[in-house]
Amino acid sequence: MAEPLMQSPLSAFDLGVQARAIDDSRGVWASEIPLLAYISLRGDAGDAAFVEKVVSVIGMPLPVAPCTFAASNGVTALWMSPDEWMIVCRRERLSELTSGLKSILQGIRSQVADNSGGYTQVSLQGRNALDVLQHASVYDFAALQPGRVVGTTFGKSSVYAYRADNGFRLIMRRSFADYIWRYLVRAAAPYGLGIAAIEATGHAGQGVAE
Amino acid sequence: MFVLFCPHCQEKREEEEFGYGGEAFRVRPSTPDTVDDETWGDYLFMRSNPKGWNWELWSHATGCRKFFVVKRNTATNAIAGSWTLAEGRKVYDAEGGAQ
Repeated sequence: MAEPLMQSPLSAFDLGVQARAIDDSRGVWASEIPLLAYISLRGDAGDAAFVEKVVSVIGMPLPVAPCTFAASNGVTALWMSPDEWMIVCRRERLSELTSGLKSILQGIRSQVADNSGGYTQVSLQGRNALDVLQHASVYDFAALQPGRVVGTTFGKSSVYAYRADNGFRLIMRRSFADYIWRYLVRAAAPYGLGIAAIEATGHAGQGVAE
Repeated sequence: MFVLFCPHCQEKREEEEFGYGGEAFRVRPSTPDTVDDETWGDYLFMRSNPKGWNWELWSHATGCRKFFVVKRNTATNAIAGSWTLAEGRKVYDAEGGAQ
């Protein structure tokens, strides 16, 4: 019997082989940041006990303002909805955070679910990164402020997007990852697309660096 | 195409991000087992379909995925406002229901 194999949704594109250091030769640099942990957290933002206990586990204030996120010490907490957050971190911290949240939130109306298999994310950089997003979505990404995260359309599907490392970070469902990556490649073609080495962007083995 | 304000995201977004949820504040018969077929049929199939101001549900499908209410003019696409369900209910009731 074969062992289960952990594979990123974009592994078929062999991005690692094409990856190189970012330079000025291309307008857009993209790369997948694969195999991070995604924890779906739900609860009442108006319940002080809930917020306080979550803060004690994730080690930073929970972003309760609409469309904002907070990042600290390798953990990113994204506001998804008035009663839902996505906690993103390295896989190594997944069990520590999920069990920590579950045990501390006992007795409080809440939900902690491991959604790591359901999502992946892409980093988009370069001088034309904004142009590519404007091709793909109805949202005015030029107006997207640092520290804000928006869920919006991407072609026929949807992404959560925020500004990070001189560009953008796109979080997508794994079932749409193939479609979105092909869309990105096509949209970036006029500007020249390079596959950025994730080591160069500081994400290797580190997941979310902020 | 028009722009809707999502009361949960607190931002104006393009219509493409939203899904239409039908007429708002419809009352479901409290005893479905005993109401007559006509009442139940009306509840299931009949809508007011006004030309003019209409209270309707929208969901922010690609954003926060929450439902909210919008008062929209079906003839002109003018939008009087958007509210969370609880807030919208107050405004709706203050107006004396659908007009």
